[in-house]
Amino acid sequence: MFGTLFLKECRQVLKSLVYYIFLVAFVFSVNSQMSGESWKSLKEPQPGEVYYGRTITRDETLIMEGTLANLMQDVYRGSFATYPLGFYKKVALTEAERKKVEEILERCTGKSYEMLESERNRYFEIIEQQSTLEEVIAAETDYKVPVREGLTYEEFGIAMEEICNLVGKGSSYEKSKYENSIYVPMTYEGAKEEFAALCTKDLITRGYMRLFCDYAGIFLSILPIFVGVSGALRDKRAKVQQVIFSKPAPGMVIIGSRYLANLFMISIPVFVMAFLLQHPCYKMARSMGLQADFFAFLKVPCLWLLPEIMIVLALSFFITEFTDSILAVFVQTAWGIGSLFGADVLVGNFGLSLVARWNTFGQSMLYASLEKELLWNRGYYCLLAVVCILLTVIVYERKRQKGGAYGKVCKTGC
Amino acid sequence: MDISIEIQGLTKYYGKKKALSEVSLSIPQGMFGLLGPNGAGKTTLMKVLTTLLEKTDGKVTICGVPIENSRQIRKMTGYLPQDFSMYGNMNVYEALDYLAVLSGMSRSERKRKVPEMLEKVNLLEKQKIRVRSMSGGMKRRLGIAQAIIHDPRIIIVDEPTAGLDPEERVRFRNLLCEIAKDRIVLLSTHIVGDIEATCENIAVLNQGKICFDGQVSDLLSLVEGKVYSAEIETSDLEKIKQKYMVTGILVTGNTANIKIIADENPFTRAKQVRPDVEDAYMYLMHKG
Repeated sequence: MFGTLFLKECRQVLKSLVYYIFLVAFVFSVNSQMSGESWKSLKEPQPGEVYYGRTITRDETLIMEGTLANLMQDVYRGSFATYPLGFYKKVALTEAERKKVEEILERCTGKSYEMLESERNRYFEIIEQQSTLEEVIAAETDYKVPVREGLTYEEFGIAMEEICNLVGKGSSYEKSKYENSIYVPMTYEGAKEEFAALCTKDLITRGYMRLFCDYAGIFLSILPIFVGVSGALRDKRAKVQQVIFSKPAPGMVIIGSRYLANLFMISIPVFVMAFLLQHPCYKMARSMGLQADFFAFLKVPCLWLLPEIMIVLALSFFITEFTDSILAVFVQTAWGIGSLFGADVLVGNFGLSLVARWNTFGQSMLYASLEKELLWNRGYYCLLAVVCILLTVIVYERKRQKGGAYGKVCKTGC
Repeated sequence: MDISIEIQGLTKYYGKKKALSEVSLSIPQGMFGLLGPNGAGKTTLMKVLTTLLEKTDGKVTICGVPIENSRQIRKMTGYLPQDFSMYGNMNVYEALDYLAVLSGMSRSERKRKVPEMLEKVNLLEKQKIRVRSMSGGMKRRLGIAQAIIHDPRIIIVDEPTAGLDPEERVRFRNLLCEIAKDRIVLLSTHIVGDIEATCENIAVLNQGKICFDGQVSDLLSLVEGKVYSAEIETSDLEKIKQKYMVTGILVTGNTANIKIIADENPFTRAKQVRPDVEDAYMYLMHKG
């Protein structure tokens, strides 16, 4: 019964207009983001090159200098960008609060704010006069504020906590953010090591597929909601609840087949897109004589995107079945956007984020160090999806015995 | 095999509202009519029997199986709800096949039974039509096909002829009679003609209570010798309506042929006539 129902539900999804809207929106959105340029820069680093790319530093002194530079820039501009609950909020400090921040800067650098400001101005004046726009942007990233001699990383951490108390939640002065956001130029040795890891650990295509998953994950945190809600409201819309409720098929079979059919139909374009985008990268790697993983388009999205689709779809099924409304669209869209903008960094730091970010091609060594965290994250969402579907089945069976109503005394006439 | 529905002291509350009050019925094999005005509790009773509503109190068994055993009950019942519908984007064949899967039928069974059922309800030639393009009558026929496809012992049909044209109604009633062999067909309606044409046993439900349970002949005997026909002046009509229960009026010019229910001959011109189920039903509804 389950297999037959699954196939029939797939056909129903194929007949749904919402599914085609999802399809167009997904393909268009991902395609617009994946320029295809990243893999073209695939080449082994050679000694003597000017630029080897950038990498997140784990050096505490560099983290402190980079973070203090960011703080200096924020104080100079007079505003702080924060993301409480994932949404952007501009924070402007009062005169008293600004004074406190200046004191913290002084404590960490051993220099007065005025001195730091004049040093900053000199740095940027020289850059602006002598460089191209791209170099100005790079120079802004390279801008560092030297720390006071003897400043420990713990003292720095306490100082940043004070900044967080002043500017509020979601600023870039939270430990999880500043520890993963200071980039430094890569050395030849570092770049060579990174390239070797990309070739051996990621087999090129896996690294590229992570970038695909980053973009696709953003859209898949929201788009499947509409397919899920539409599927869950289908019976109510067509007024077939009573007939279906009266059939002997268990709720687990009905809901399970619908859920899996929706999951399957949403996954198909994801894998097709992954394959199409991976293909040129795979060809390029092979033409360079490098080993590439042909099945990366299946493996990486399965780990990265499937649990995300599972939970988004399962939650939309549950909320819709429970409320008989389109509430899931609002709740889950807010969750998706919150998760996106609430990300500490664009690469890694997965935590329990719905959208697991990896906005870069490669960084294989960093990924290897974070893979376990990602597995926990995705495993958690898989489990949560199963729980949501079980709850949906319970609600469905309850409604079945209450004439289509849940939590209401009487919805149907007598 | 025991084919019966036994209901004892069935009570159903919606919050504080009592929809069914101490209903007791014994429904034997064959066509059984459940008659009653709108809001009498017929649909509630049907939904309890199809496990779509939980009873508040009482005992119900279907073919010896307690109603609480919902999975088993659903296997042995077929239900045609009052407002039967299916997904508009499915065609007739797909819709019936889909519901047959939900009824637990295997592929080979469906392959054999779906065309057979469509033929039975005269929809075989229309099997490619989308549900959204079907007329009300066609939908009902599809509805009855899905209710009987898994060969249930009990078929419960709720107001199946409401909104159908006379020809469709007659065809539908005949279809119900055909399928009532070897099983129970519980027909709920407020259209007396449907009951009169199809059922031997009936129950009348009013305000959640059973006010009659027996054979049609027993119902008719309630008004035996109490139904009169007379020709009167139309000007007297209002006066007579206030005094007697009038069950039929045919106005021709200044005169009107009326049918009334009265315990004794109301006036000399009136002639006693044979009662029909409608007369008995009206008598039952208004006597108390």
